Amino acid sequence: MIKEIVRYPTPPSVEYSTDVRIFTDEISSLIDNLKDTIEANSLDALAAFQIGSMYNVIVIKQEDGSFLELINPRMFNTQGSVTTTEKTAYFPGLSAKITRHEKISVVYEDRELKQHSLKADGALSILLQRKIDYTFGSSFINKLSPEEKKLFETKLEFGSDVAISEVCPTTFKRDYIVKFINLLLAGMFLLFIASFFIEETMTLDTIWQYQLYASFLALGLNIIYFFYAQYEGKLYSGCTSCQIGNIIGTVFISLTKLTLIMVLSYLLIH
Amino acid sequence: MAKLVILGGGVSGHTAATFAAKWLGSGHEVIVVTPNSKWNWIPSNIWVGVGQMSKEEVTFDLAPVYKKAGITFIQAKATEIHPEGSDTIEKAFVRVESTDPDSAGEVSNVEYDYLVNATGPKLNFGATEGLGVGTELGEHTVSVCTADHAVHANEKLNEAIEKMKAGTRQRILVGTGHGMCTCQGAAFEYIFNIEHELNKAGVRDMADIKWISNESFLGDFGVGGLHMKSMGFAVSSKIFAESLFTERGVPWIIGAHVNKVESGKIHYELLDGEMGEEEFDFAMLIPPFAGVGLKAFAKDGSDITDTVFAPNGFMKVDANYGAGAYENWKASDWPSTYQNPTYGNMFACGIAFAPPHPISKPMASPNGTPIGPTPPRTGMPSGIIGKAVAHSICDRITKGEDAPLHEASMAHMGAACVASAGKGIFTGTAAAMTIYPVVPDFDKYPGTGRDVDYTFGEIGLAGHWIKHILHHLFIWKAKLKPGWTLIPE
Repeated sequence: MIKEIVRYPTPPSVEYSTDVRIFTDEISSLIDNLKDTIEANSLDALAAFQIGSMYNVIVIKQEDGSFLELINPRMFNTQGSVTTTEKTAYFPGLSAKITRHEKISVVYEDRELKQHSLKADGALSILLQRKIDYTFGSSFINKLSPEEKKLFETKLEFGSDVAISEVCPTTFKRDYIVKFINLLLAGMFLLFIASFFIEETMTLDTIWQYQLYASFLALGLNIIYFFYAQYEGKLYSGCTSCQIGNIIGTVFISLTKLTLIMVLSYLLIH
Repeated sequence: MAKLVILGGGVSGHTAATFAAKWLGSGHEVIVVTPNSKWNWIPSNIWVGVGQMSKEEVTFDLAPVYKKAGITFIQAKATEIHPEGSDTIEKAFVRVESTDPDSAGEVSNVEYDYLVNATGPKLNFGATEGLGVGTELGEHTVSVCTADHAVHANEKLNEAIEKMKAGTRQRILVGTGHGMCTCQGAAFEYIFNIEHELNKAGVRDMADIKWISNESFLGDFGVGGLHMKSMGFAVSSKIFAESLFTERGVPWIIGAHVNKVESGKIHYELLDGEMGEEEFDFAMLIPPFAGVGLKAFAKDGSDITDTVFAPNGFMKVDANYGAGAYENWKASDWPSTYQNPTYGNMFACGIAFAPPHPISKPMASPNGTPIGPTPPRTGMPSGIIGKAVAHSICDRITKGEDAPLHEASMAHMGAACVASAGKGIFTGTAAAMTIYPVVPDFDKYPGTGRDVDYTFGEIGLAGHWIKHILHHLFIWKAKLKPGWTLIPE
């Protein structure tokens, strides 16, 4: 019987992956269902969990079209590591770069619960590792590096692999400009405070001159920031148009501070 | 006046003795026969093994504690049980051989009305060629099973650290030294404590740390793994353990039976029958456990060891030893009263009772070598069982022979385990895990056999703090300081 494949965001079953202790008709029909579902969806393998069963069973469609049935598989000997891009029916249409063991040894049981072993490398090794993870209640998301996991979570959010080559970063070079403007404004504010304690007109005029130059610089930097920030945002395809609001907001706040300092300084000195 | 003799002063025996003495009062006699003069909080041996605690911090003298509690303390090793007495001695008795330095080797008989066998295991180093001889640790590897072993392990570890500081790369191998070992948790703690200490010493990049165990998957821990519920779904301890090992840069060999240890090299057999070798500069390998080798004799002097003890040397109790193959295993196979089926006044608790079968799925290589963890009996179940047995015996002594026995089946018992992965007030980490029940009940909880609501795990600094607090709490309890009965097992 063709079964519906469990897909994200349905979590893996809470009663997953018990070892098969007795080979019953239930297990026999589970294996048949796995085969039918693999054929119907043109897949290369399925773990029982992927069609909603809690048993520790995997069926793999081999190159010659025959099926390999693995009951209670355990992967125990591993060698080397390899990073490849993987896809799985649990996350349809999505892929992720995962580092796995290059070569593995697996023991498993047949329908008589007799133990067998196999060695795998290449694509079969990776496929087996991914399926065995399912039998232990995990999708490949737990195998991703922190960076790759972050990227994959974005892919999950957008539901697509395409056009998400990077994640939109949380820090940009443009932030240095904002930092410099803020330092400049802080300096201007200090000059404004200093003006309270100076009575000499000549000195006050000089301070005002400095503030005027600084205000032109701050204004100029804000203009540069406004255009550069938009340019920088476009470099990352992961960044959305919501950034423009952020940029306008930053410039508006900066200019408001600047105006406030200048108006107060003008009123104090003149 | 009844006489209760307890063989062994470990977690289980000490718990049984102290509670029995408290409940029985001075009207009856409680005798503890143990070869060690000191009590050892074994879980903290890990920290002795990495130099973070001294031997003195994890042990204390038993004699003053027993004196205070009104318990008779005999520092001796039990060698024979005569449950029917003998032709010259009417009552049941235990033959003991003194280990007290003043009277070492002297043999005497200790009569009893009730006997609790809480001898713990024999550290069977001799089971693996080169790992040791009999119960003696060999010269090639170290162990953290006793406080003295842990002190020795720390010395060797320091030598390795000095070599790394001098620019020599070191290969560190930690795990189980036989296909039928238990206590993977202790090795798990030790490997990550070593990793943590090497980081602190600034030589982590000079060490290749590797794990080797008889588990068929990482995170089995001898209980068939744990299934932790997190964010609404259950994930196996395999995934959790693999993440931790990968994150700390520790590769692993599992499904391995170490069959020979040489200087700097081990030989092992894998689940598929393949043989392998692994070289090391420093190795801590846990030995397999066996019964301590007690013999039993009938009144006429005939050997009844096979009647009283299972082939592995552990004492037979009210378990179903005829469960057979894996598919027939049931939670009800596990003992609940720990009473010997032949002699109703004998009980066994802690590691000393013979389990009916493993908890993890039994596996073997095509050559027929069994490779799989044997069931662990950690501190918490051992303490609970010891207390239940003491309760049963006290009831029988004070209320009469027909008093019902108290039950403490590992199939109805949860266990909490805090596995240290590095010591430090701010930098420490530990994995805290709870499991319910310890022995899976496939009838009650179809699927994993466990209640996933009460089975969970978490790793972090808080776990380390709990582990450290527990260290002080349990030593406080064992020393019978004020409020000791309020501290749970």
